[in-house]
Amino acid sequence: MPAKPHRILLDRVSVYADEAAAFMRRRRISRRPFARLYYPQGRSADHAQDSSSGAELFVAAGRLIEVAGKKEKG
Amino acid sequence: MTTVMIQEARARVTVGIFADMPDAATAAPDRKSAEAALAFLTEMSPDLRGAAILGPDGAVLAATGEEPDRWREDAAALFAAGDGAEDVPVEQVHIATEQGEVFAVRNAGLAAITVSDRFALASLMLFDMRSTLRRLASTDFGGSEPPQPRSGG
Repeated sequence: MPAKPHRILLDRVSVYADEAAAFMRRRRISRRPFARLYYPQGRSADHAQDSSSGAELFVAAGRLIEVAGKKEKG
Repeated sequence: MTTVMIQEARARVTVGIFADMPDAATAAPDRKSAEAALAFLTEMSPDLRGAAILGPDGAVLAATGEEPDRWREDAAALFAAGDGAEDVPVEQVHIATEQGEVFAVRNAGLAAITVSDRFALASLMLFDMRSTLRRLASTDFGGSEPPQPRSGG
C-alpha cells in the first residue's frame, strides 16, 4: 500500500532537518576555540578559554594575530 | 587549569624523536639565513598570514610585516603563558581562535611563530616549522634552494 502523500512530505522535511542539525553540530564543534600545548615526550594538554592559563594563552594569541594582520590577496 | 589530557601514540613517537635531538644551537644564525628560512616557510604554507623566527635570546631574527618588536614582545608573552601553564617549558603551542590560528615551535635553541587562517593543517604546519628551524640551526639555509609549495592547506 503506498504511503500517504503528506507522510512522504513530512519524512522528507524531517530528513533535511536532521541533516541541518548534524551540520550545525559539526560546525559548532569545529569552530570552537582551543589552546593546546605540547611538551617533550609527546605529552599534550588542552587549556580551556575560561581557565587562567587558557585566558593568558588566548590573549597572547590574539595579539599575535593582530600583528600578523590580514592575509594579502593575490 | 588542565581540562583534557591527550596521549597520542603517533605524536609521542614523532615528538620523542625530535626531543632526543640536540636542542641548542651552538651559535645564533645570521639574519640573512633567518630571512631565507622565513621566506621558505612562507612559501611552503599557503595559509600563513605572518611569521617570525626568534633567536636563542628571544630577539627577532626575521619577521613578516613592519613590527619586529611587537613580534618579540607577543611571542615572549605567548611562551611565558605556555611555560607558566604547568611550570614546564612547552615544545609546541597551537591556539585556534575565531580570527585565526597561532602556532609556536621551539627547536634547536630557536623559535618560530606563525599565524595562519582558520582550519590550517596543524600537523603539516608544525612539521614545516620544526624542519625549518632544524635546517636553520644547522646553517643549511643559504636561500638558494627553491621552495616547493604545498598544493593544499
